[in-house]
Amino acid sequence: MKGWILPKNSLSYWLRQLRKDSDLIGPLRTPDGDIVFESVEKIHEIVLDPPASLPSVKEFFLPQYETVFVFKTDTVRPIQEKRKRVIFGLRSCDVAALRLLDRFFLDSQPDPYYSERRKNTLLISVVCNRPDPTCFCVGIGAGPYLKEGFDIQLTDLGDRYMVEIGSPRGRRAVREYSFVFQRPRKTDLEDQFEVQLSSTARFQQRINLEGVRSLILSQRVDEGFWQEVANRCIQCGGCVYVCPLCSCFTVTDRVYQEHIERVRLWDACLFKGFTRLAGGILPNDAPVSRTKRWFYHKLIYYPEGIGGFGCVGCGRCAVVCPSKIDMATVVLNIKRVSENAVSG
Amino acid sequence: MRSVVNIYTPLKGKIEEARELCPDVKLYRVRVPKEVHYYPGQFFMLSLWGYGEVPISVCSLDDTQTLEFTVRKAGFVTSAIHQLQAGDTIWLRGPYGRRFPLEMSYHRDVVVVAGGIGLAPLRAVIQYLLKERRKVKRVTLLYGSRTPDGLLYREEYDTWRASDVKVVLTVDCPSDGWRGNVGVVTTLWHQVEGELREAVAYVCGPPVMIKAALTDLFLLGMPADRIVTTLEAHMKCGVGKCGHCYNDGRFICTDGPVFTYKEIKEWDLTL
Repeated sequence: MKGWILPKNSLSYWLRQLRKDSDLIGPLRTPDGDIVFESVEKIHEIVLDPPASLPSVKEFFLPQYETVFVFKTDTVRPIQEKRKRVIFGLRSCDVAALRLLDRFFLDSQPDPYYSERRKNTLLISVVCNRPDPTCFCVGIGAGPYLKEGFDIQLTDLGDRYMVEIGSPRGRRAVREYSFVFQRPRKTDLEDQFEVQLSSTARFQQRINLEGVRSLILSQRVDEGFWQEVANRCIQCGGCVYVCPLCSCFTVTDRVYQEHIERVRLWDACLFKGFTRLAGGILPNDAPVSRTKRWFYHKLIYYPEGIGGFGCVGCGRCAVVCPSKIDMATVVLNIKRVSENAVSG
Repeated sequence: MRSVVNIYTPLKGKIEEARELCPDVKLYRVRVPKEVHYYPGQFFMLSLWGYGEVPISVCSLDDTQTLEFTVRKAGFVTSAIHQLQAGDTIWLRGPYGRRFPLEMSYHRDVVVVAGGIGLAPLRAVIQYLLKERRKVKRVTLLYGSRTPDGLLYREEYDTWRASDVKVVLTVDCPSDGWRGNVGVVTTLWHQVEGELREAVAYVCGPPVMIKAALTDLFLLGMPADRIVTTLEAHMKCGVGKCGHCYNDGRFICTDGPVFTYKEIKEWDLTL
C-alpha cells in the first residue's frame, strides 16, 4: 500500500532529526495572533492546522530584501545562500505556487538565487482539513490536497499523519528515519479519503477562473469595469506582497564605506514608477492600466506563458486588500456583470 | 536540481574610447576580456557599481572583442556613465534579446527610419546592410532629429552614401545654414527609393515617432510582418525575471526588444 503512517507523537522526533543539518521553518503564532513562517526554536510552538499565513513562504525563495553581489576593490562576489532548510506546515496552495514559480524562474535562463534556495529546501506540506472562508484553491486544482508536485505531503488523520512522498528528496527524509513510520492499513487510506472529501466540501466559495478567462478573452468585460476596479485601488501593493506568485523585483546598489552591495527587493507593478523610463516617460501612467495589468497577468498571460493560472486561490489578497478588489471578489463580479449583461 | 551559473554577473570591460557625438550623447568603445558574439538589435546591461544597470543596445557589428554603445545622458546611471573616459572600467552583461530579422531584407528594398538616438541600434543594421550590400536592393535612411546638432554619426554618412545608401535628413528646428528638410521624419516617405509595399522597414525612435512611422508604413501598403521596430523599456534584469518591461503578456527584454508591427499592432506604444 502506498504512503506511510506517522504517529503524531513521533512528529517532533522526526522534525528534530531533520533539523540536525537544516534550518527548520514552520508556522508560528506571533503575540498579535498572526501566523508567520519563521525559524523554529521550540518544536512544540509550531501551529498545526493554522489559517493561511501572511505573507506566503515565497520569502524563503525570493526574499523581500537580499544582497546578490558584493563589490569590493575591483572584484565582484556573488552572495549565494547555501544553508539547507526544511519548511514544515505549508499549505498545498503554497506548494502549487512554488511549482509555477519553478517554471518561471528555472525553465529558461535559470535564476541562480532562486535555484539554490529551492535546491536546498525540503517542503513538508500539510493538507488543509479546514479551509479559511477566503480560500478557493479547490476550483484551481491547487488544494486542499495535491496529487503531485510536493516533496512530502501529510494528511492529518486525528492521532496520526498519512505521509505521501512526491520527490527523491522527500523519499530520503522518510527513508532515513523509517523506524518512526509505519505501513498504512486499509482503514488509514479510508480515513484519508474521508478527510479529503470533507475538506473539499467545506469550501465556502467555488470560483471558476477558466470561465472568467474566456469572458475576458471574448471581450465581455468592458473598460468601464476595469476603471471601477482601478478607482477603488489605493495602490498599496498589499496584494502583491502577500501573493505567493507575484515575483517582480527591483535591483539597486547600496554604497557603504568599504564596499558596494547590489541588492534586490520586492517591487510591485501597481506602483506608478514601476515602468518609468529615464528621461521621464511614464508608461502605464493611468491607474487602470496598472490594475488591469495585475489581473491580466494572472488570468490571461500566466496560463499562456507558464501553463497555469497566476493564482492558486490562497485568498491572501482578500485578507489584506482594504478596498475589497481582491482576486475572488473581482472574478465573481466579472461573472455577475457579464451574466447580467446577457440576461438584461 | 543542479547549481546554475550566475546569469547576473557582469563582465569587466575597459573603455577604449569615449567620444561626444552631440551634447548629452556619447559613443563608447568597450573592450571585453573574452569573445562576445552579438547581433544588431540585441542589447547589453551596462553596469556601474554604486549606480546600477541600464539596458543599452549595441550599435556596432561583428567585432567580438570591442563593442560600441551610444549612451544618452538621461537618468541616474547614464549620467554616471557620462563621467567615464577612455581607460576607465565599465561592467556589462549580455547580449540579450531578439535580433533584427535582417535576412528578411535580402533581395528587397530597405528603408531605415530613425529618430534621435533611435539611430543607435539601427547603425548596426546599416553596417550589416553595407556588409551584405549586394544581397539587398536599394537602401534609404530617413533620419530625423530635433536640431542639426543632434544628428548622430555625422562623419559616417559619407561612407554610407558611398555604398549607395540614400541618406535623407530632417530636423524640427533648423539652425542657420541648414539646407536639409524641416519637419518630422514621417513627411519623407516620397523620398524612399522603390515600392514601399515590396520593401522592408527597420524603425527606431521616440515612442510617438515609432507609432506614427509604423502606422504610416502599414497604411502605405507595407505588410505588417515586414515593418520591424525595437522598443525601449525600464529593465532591471534583462532576462525576463524582474517584470518591469512586461507588457501585454510579453517581456520586452526576452520576447523583444525587436518586434514586427504585426506582433504589437494592438499595443498603445505611447502609453
